[in-house]
Amino acid sequence: MPGIIDRLSKRLKAYRTPGYYKKYDYHWTMVVDLDKCNGCAACVVACHAENNLPTVGKDECGKSRAFNWIRIERYVEGEYPDVKVKFIPIMCQHCDKARCELGCPVYATYHNQDGLNVQVYNRCVGTYTCATYCPYDVRRFNWFTYKWDEPLDQQLNPDVSVREMGVMEKCTFCIQRIRVAKDKAKDEEREIKDGDVQPACVQSCPTGAMVFGDLNDPNSSVSKLAKSRRTYRLLEKYNTEPSVIYLKRVMDGSSKGHEERHHV
Amino acid sequence: MLNRRDFLKLIGLGGVSTGAGFVLKEAMEPPVAKLIPYLVPPEDTVPGVANWYAGLCTQCSAGCGVITKTMEGRAKKIEGNPLHPINRGKLCARGQAGLQVLYNPDRVKGPLKRVGKRGEGEFREVSWEEGLSILSGNLKDLTNRNEAGKLYLLTSALRGHLTSLLVSFMDSFGSSNYFQYELFNNSNLIYANSVTIGSGAIPDYDIANTRLLLSFGADFMGTWLSPVRYARSYGDMRQGRPGVRGRFVQIEPRLSMTGASADEWVPVRPGTEGILALSIAYLIVEERHYRGADAKRWMDMLKRYNPDEVAGEIDISVRKIGELAEEFVEGGPSLAIGGDNLASYDNGIGNLVAVNVLNYLAGSIGHKGGVLLNGKDKTFKRKSVPYAQLTKLGDSALEGDIETLILYNTNPLFTAPSGMKLGASLENIPLIVSLSSFMDETTGMADLILPAHTSLEDWGDDFADHGAGYSVATVMQPAVSPVFDTKGVGDVFLALAASLGPGFKKDFPWRSFGDFLKDAWKKIYRRNRGSGIKERSFEDFWSRLLAAGGWWTPSPKISGAVNLSVGKASSHIPSAAAGFDGDSDKFPFFLTVYSHSAFLDGRGANLPWLQEMPDPMTSVVWGTWVEMNPKTARHLSLKEGDMIRVESPYGEIHAPLYLYPGIRPDTVAVPIGQGHTSYGRYAKERGDNPLAILPPRVDTRTGALALNSTRVRVFKSTRSGKLVKMEGSARELGRGIVQTVSNKEFKKMGKEA
Amino acid sequence: MKKVPIYIIVAVITFAIGYNVNARYFSNRRPVQPIAFSHKIHAGDNDIPCLYCHIYANKSRVAGVPSVQRCMGCHKVIKTDSPKIQKLTHYWESGEPIPWIKVHNLPDHVYFTHKRHVKAGVECQSCHGDVEEMDVIARVASLKMGWCLRCHMNEEVKNGKDCWTCHK
Repeated sequence: MPGIIDRLSKRLKAYRTPGYYKKYDYHWTMVVDLDKCNGCAACVVACHAENNLPTVGKDECGKSRAFNWIRIERYVEGEYPDVKVKFIPIMCQHCDKARCELGCPVYATYHNQDGLNVQVYNRCVGTYTCATYCPYDVRRFNWFTYKWDEPLDQQLNPDVSVREMGVMEKCTFCIQRIRVAKDKAKDEEREIKDGDVQPACVQSCPTGAMVFGDLNDPNSSVSKLAKSRRTYRLLEKYNTEPSVIYLKRVMDGSSKGHEERHHV
Repeated sequence: MLNRRDFLKLIGLGGVSTGAGFVLKEAMEPPVAKLIPYLVPPEDTVPGVANWYAGLCTQCSAGCGVITKTMEGRAKKIEGNPLHPINRGKLCARGQAGLQVLYNPDRVKGPLKRVGKRGEGEFREVSWEEGLSILSGNLKDLTNRNEAGKLYLLTSALRGHLTSLLVSFMDSFGSSNYFQYELFNNSNLIYANSVTIGSGAIPDYDIANTRLLLSFGADFMGTWLSPVRYARSYGDMRQGRPGVRGRFVQIEPRLSMTGASADEWVPVRPGTEGILALSIAYLIVEERHYRGADAKRWMDMLKRYNPDEVAGEIDISVRKIGELAEEFVEGGPSLAIGGDNLASYDNGIGNLVAVNVLNYLAGSIGHKGGVLLNGKDKTFKRKSVPYAQLTKLGDSALEGDIETLILYNTNPLFTAPSGMKLGASLENIPLIVSLSSFMDETTGMADLILPAHTSLEDWGDDFADHGAGYSVATVMQPAVSPVFDTKGVGDVFLALAASLGPGFKKDFPWRSFGDFLKDAWKKIYRRNRGSGIKERSFEDFWSRLLAAGGWWTPSPKISGAVNLSVGKASSHIPSAAAGFDGDSDKFPFFLTVYSHSAFLDGRGANLPWLQEMPDPMTSVVWGTWVEMNPKTARHLSLKEGDMIRVESPYGEIHAPLYLYPGIRPDTVAVPIGQGHTSYGRYAKERGDNPLAILPPRVDTRTGALALNSTRVRVFKSTRSGKLVKMEGSARELGRGIVQTVSNKEFKKMGKEA
Repeated sequence: MKKVPIYIIVAVITFAIGYNVNARYFSNRRPVQPIAFSHKIHAGDNDIPCLYCHIYANKSRVAGVPSVQRCMGCHKVIKTDSPKIQKLTHYWESGEPIPWIKVHNLPDHVYFTHKRHVKAGVECQSCHGDVEEMDVIARVASLKMGWCLRCHMNEEVKNGKDCWTCHK
């Protein structure tokens, strides 16, 4: 019995050490430059197209059941006429120390060797625990088995499962694209190069605010951007160690997001 | 031991449980699936591996290049073409949703003939032969009656060789009445530029390299000119140059999505933007930053725009104008741009001229980081088609000048103010034929519908207006085979030509529009002027052209400085603020209608992805809304979500209220795009169309509609309706979600930022 | 009440019979195909390599069933008098593809790629059985996750146990 406990605790420890995948091939990371983001929502539609996200209609949207694996949050500061607006795209942060992974009773969400927060649909039983644990509100639940009006279903991406009722889902950093890049790299007997993989949102971003790549590779563009002095991580105080790095917006006269005043 | 009764029971039990076992096993097996092989495998197709076809985005008139991912003959995703110089692999929300145009369940699935009364929407399916013969019979009648000139053709703003085909068809037929119509058509901008900086072409605004961008109502990252290209430029302006960050000031009464990214928002009184531009120009001349020989004459002309005189009217402090002027001339390139919002006043052209004057006096024209003039495109001989003036079109219809109207890809009934009474005018046309893919408002009036392919099913090309500073041609090819029983527009006209007799057919020998296009490109190939693609044979050139998605010469040409005379400017600049219909006592609010970044002029409203895309500024989905400043709402005792009746002298609309701090207290705003009465299940009945209550006022020089030209009053409505928005609080409430650094801190970081 | 055990025994036995009858004679492990195609004749007796017909197996995740054109490539001249081939010719002439019944069927949430397995040198037979000896094609492996993982673990496939290697 002590043997088992010992073994288990060792495994858990290894798993919980941040950056444990350093010894593996990749640490997928996204850098979002908030000084470039203009909130246009091209990424939102790109994600819908790539990942077979259903549209749920007005009533369901009103119940906060819209499927946005990535969303743009828009914050307003100040009062007329000194109004300032800030945008931020928020998707699954693929945290090193993810709350959701602790919560799942059936191990349907876990961290893999590439630094990704994995969601396994066929294992998920829909307890909703992960979504309640997530501080970023990025997990979406299938309250129904959604249908596509024919022939809209012809567009569905065959590389991505169509989820059914009772399953939790979220951003995967477009695992299907990573898989294709790995496949191609293996054919050419090499590692994945910087720029080989672009999730749909990054691919579409008109201003180039989003960049995706491998943080283990010191020469990748994300590694270079991660050295910026503007970096911060979302809700850092919760100590979740996200894999998404934000670069601060350059803005005068902002309360730096720490205003306590209540407005309209 | 076992009586007969029990025996039978056992037999029965045995039977049932045998069946149960059988069924259980059956349920455990995966369902039987068929494995259908190809009869003849298509070349270059490997099942399970995606093929990409280059093409053209037709969701707006920017002319972005796209690539379409197809798998086993179905389109899966549209992305930007990485080789294309306009969008360089990027694509906006509207462009991506183009896929739902192709697979839209509400497309017109085959030719239809009207059976009920006009506008009742009762149609019967007909074959293409029958449909085409109805139209060609009608055209033959027109020729026989010597009334060929009474054939009218109205399309969207097409630019490629399809236009050439349509123009020569109309010429051969003997009608000069081919017009193009777009709600947002840049015609005011083209006019203003041609009378001032001498170029009718739309210039290239070098936002990426500018130090200060002064945008007068230009939603250049949402809907204006070339949003994807300018969004990329914006990213470069902000963080593309190590250590240098361009500053961006937005001047408009209602903060647009683009304006939301600005460092500073200057909410001027609606209609005074042009006056502000001239006021800044005045200070530039007065402070002797303009050193031309005619400085004195400029001074005399601009005198009346002295900030002391006009600041009150603009509703901005004299000091602010001074600051803007100082910023505009101090060090590095600066750039002023005037957008749709500016062009849509009744003094729209004047406002745009004023912005040109400001650029000219500050020396921003013809320089890096300023306005780069596009030369005349000599490689492609574009046919230009006049923009339709809806009022004139309506008059012609009323006077019986239009016997037959053919419509393609345009929906004037939705975008025309109801005061124009266009619907009643159209009633007067004996035969309306629509080639639209959707049952939109105007198509609903048609007698015959011959549905066209969408851009992923058809051939085509495009020569972008506001390219990348040099000639750009984009080619479009079928990425998938037609989903429904539709035909290409070019093919429809070639079929018509063939049916109009041998004399006519002689001029149109092509079997399909694809052949026509290929022939047209042979001419460009032979001209071979600085071509981006060089090949020995045309066939090689053609296949490389299709693979690349187009043709461009990647060497920007910047023409030198221009000369703008005082005389030219003074005859066009605005003498007063824009006019608004409605007495300010009865109608206390200015109405601003703006193009929605997802729906543009309403054409995107039938795509579920765009309906469910939260609006960037309000996060509202699946509906429309009225924006009002919270202060005003408090004053009127209105709260968010209340149904509001917005009344202009021309009519009223109802929509829920959204409290928006980014709007002047004396202005209310409504997005364009919703309020369709037909146009499919996703677009229908999602609120009211604000265009309906606008004055029927157009600029007679260009035909552009003055969108911002009425005042309104607002009341609480008795109707019910719901505002569905995705945001919780619009305020961060101390959560530190979007963190910031000040410009000072940023400068201190230097290259490490 | 003493007769209850008999009822139970009869129910269990007949249930098992029903189950096995289905498994043996009706299972889609070995379905009746529209044309009684024999892998034994093609891959066994005539030694035709698998990839000659399943042309996509080394370049896509699907191996591909041969197109009717490919069948006709040989059968325009070979054994044209056989009724089976006449059936094939009929499909070809009427321009219809052959509605084969799927023997190896994976659920939609599984991403399996033939290409990687073929390129890694896995023999077709290790999953599909000795196809060259089968007159009627039959599925020999369960194709269940445990079966996949056994191999992935024995062969120490890189990241072979990660869910996102195979689940999409």
